[in-house]
Amino acid sequence: MSGEAGAIGSDQIIFATGGYDHTIKLWQTHTGNCQKTLQHAESQVNMLEITPDRRYLAAASYQHIRMFDLTTTNQNHDFNYEGVPKNVTAVGFEKNTKWMYSGGEDGKVRIWDLRETTNNPHHYEVFAPVTCVQLHPNQSEVFIGDQNGTIHMWDMKTDNADQYIPDLDNMIIDLAINPDGTHLAAVNSKGRCFIWSISGGCKSEERTTILPKNKFEAHPRQALKCKFSPDSNYLVTTSSDQTAKIWDAKNNFKLIKELKHNNKRWVWDAAFSSDSQYLFTGSSDNIARLWNVKDGTIEREYVGHQKAITTIAFRDVFVPA
Amino acid sequence: MALYDNKYWLLSHIRNSFISTDDTGMCELVMVGENLPDSLVDALDKYPDTDDSQEEDDEIEHESYDIQLDSDFNVRKFGSNMSSWMEKMDQKRKRAGRSKNIKWESNAEKMSDEDRMKMFAKQEIPKEQPAFKSLLSEQIQNCIRMPKNPFMEYSKFDGSAQVGVPVRKYKIFLTMLPENQKNYPMLVVCVATAKIQELIGLICYKCSSSIVYGDFPLQPVSSYGLYITEEDGEVDRDFPCLDAKECVAKFGFTCLGLVEHKNNKIVTFENSEQLVMRNLEETLSSSEQASAALDESKQLIVDMELMKGHEIAMIAPLYQSYRAFIITKMRSKVEIHLGISGEKLEIDPVHQKNAKFVLSRQKPVSHHMDCIGSCIITDTKSSKTTFRIDYVSVPGNKEIVGSNSLPSNVSMKHYDFEADNATAEEIVQKMNIILDIRSSTSRKEFIATLEKKKEKKGFV
Repeated sequence: MSGEAGAIGSDQIIFATGGYDHTIKLWQTHTGNCQKTLQHAESQVNMLEITPDRRYLAAASYQHIRMFDLTTTNQNHDFNYEGVPKNVTAVGFEKNTKWMYSGGEDGKVRIWDLRETTNNPHHYEVFAPVTCVQLHPNQSEVFIGDQNGTIHMWDMKTDNADQYIPDLDNMIIDLAINPDGTHLAAVNSKGRCFIWSISGGCKSEERTTILPKNKFEAHPRQALKCKFSPDSNYLVTTSSDQTAKIWDAKNNFKLIKELKHNNKRWVWDAAFSSDSQYLFTGSSDNIARLWNVKDGTIEREYVGHQKAITTIAFRDVFVPA
Repeated sequence: MALYDNKYWLLSHIRNSFISTDDTGMCELVMVGENLPDSLVDALDKYPDTDDSQEEDDEIEHESYDIQLDSDFNVRKFGSNMSSWMEKMDQKRKRAGRSKNIKWESNAEKMSDEDRMKMFAKQEIPKEQPAFKSLLSEQIQNCIRMPKNPFMEYSKFDGSAQVGVPVRKYKIFLTMLPENQKNYPMLVVCVATAKIQELIGLICYKCSSSIVYGDFPLQPVSSYGLYITEEDGEVDRDFPCLDAKECVAKFGFTCLGLVEHKNNKIVTFENSEQLVMRNLEETLSSSEQASAALDESKQLIVDMELMKGHEIAMIAPLYQSYRAFIITKMRSKVEIHLGISGEKLEIDPVHQKNAKFVLSRQKPVSHHMDCIGSCIITDTKSSKTTFRIDYVSVPGNKEIVGSNSLPSNVSMKHYDFEADNATAEEIVQKMNIILDIRSSTSRKEFIATLEKKKEKKGFV
């Protein structure tokens, strides 16, 4: 098997899965073969994210964020970010990989300077465990969801923040902003989905404001993830009701497809291909699946994890049309 | 130099050299058991100098200070404890050297406004992406018809890079490969809880997804066996293959050979489709060929099943006797021989030595097949199955076949039998095939009348 030692080149698709079995697996997407297994011995993996420069895979876990260099055959992590007293639940990057943001159960959102130009930390505290953090495409504001059901919009430049409470006392589980920066979506522990339209925020002095636009019952039980497709046409929500649902973001969030599998257990995470034609899901039956968005059929299955897959990270490659 | 003409010392030195240079451990195994001092002294020196021999005996007994025998012989055999420990330490050092720790400085000064302005300056949101295609979509669309790897499900038993799960490492010789490929073992790491069968599946999966062996047509898992194999790849055929249902942890062998069972009873028809796993990006035409091959093998399975059906039907009318129990009206069981042929059903009691109850005695009876209404399983328990045969009893046991209607004085009766599950199933199957075969027009009428009678009886 060539995969054992495989380094991932810049022209390759990266698809990583992680979860409760203390390993991170990288897959060859079109064959379903596991290319490489990274050990994550100390704890489960809460969230995986690939840097925009495609070089590193970051794994947020208990008290640590570990970064694995994907361009080498090295099986061990190369950077270990520590100092968070509890679980790190969210991680993400600035689009030029200048800095990284993280959110933790200790209620802090931290900014880590990856180029180490400054030693002065920047953080924001929310007084409730942070469940999710999303960066606005303008790279200047982050949206933070917490267990009290509050959404914080933190302007990192001015260090000001606004709060929104869409559904009191129901935990915000995940947030998503579409690539155009025009819509914000949130899902909560009751399976409800909230949509805001975002205005302003594109020019340097303009203030960003959000306006409630839509609210619907996406799932009968707790939702786990929401994500916009790269073309902003779809919104996918995954849930503990064992389904992933695709909603029409351009047409008042009508349900387009319900993706359901017979053996399927909780669907923890989802990721779109760059042309929004395919969707990856990871679920508690230890299998990740690739779905055709149009037909709702399963194209591939990725088998190999010993326990539930709770997070996936995917980065596609563009080829000239 | 004085030592070199001491034959005991020389011999000891040679022995030590053998032991310390032989990685397979075979020399150690052979030489350790010998009681050397005594045998040597006897064999080499007929007239020992009593003063000398004492200290030389000691010398031989000591062997070498370097070599200390330990009980876990297997560990020494393949790279000593020391080297694996060194390896581990080395890995740890490397890991520590390469990995960089960055700690959150909670007490440091806050970021200055100027820094913040620079670092978090608002950036323009890119407008719509230019018309590029996704590589993922392209690859998926290029191999739409790629057959699914049938061994995919076994990939979860892969033990490489597992954390906190006990694993086993094996050198596997793939004996079914062509001559030039089978001489080198494949290294397979398997979780220790897997069964031998699952290890075979994992080997097949590794084999089918490897670049080297990817084209080799693999059989289903059940047609392979794992045999104890020498380090040089020679399969030890004196022993049977490892039991497929046993856990891998039960066996201590680290070098195994995967052998295909040809024309063996283990190969069943249901599984005999040959699955050709091609390498990753195969052209459309070759995948069509593969699917054609699959269709062919599917057809073969259907044909084989049909044949099996015919065969059962052909042997069904042949006489066969089964041992079963008849359940009498007193709810007691009497052992009988149940003889079934295409024409007749015979019930013969087995001679009972201690038959005390006259009531439960069973008379031998015989029924014509056309008097039999049905034969069904009534109850299945873990070890026993009861089944019922409905029949028409005609006073005087006259022939009723051929007559268009049933005599008015017939009565519906049934026997209850009990037998072990397999026998009962066989009997019921045989009876039903016979009844099916005999479904002539007269019999159909007979059954219809029977139904009517039954209904009547039900109403009354």
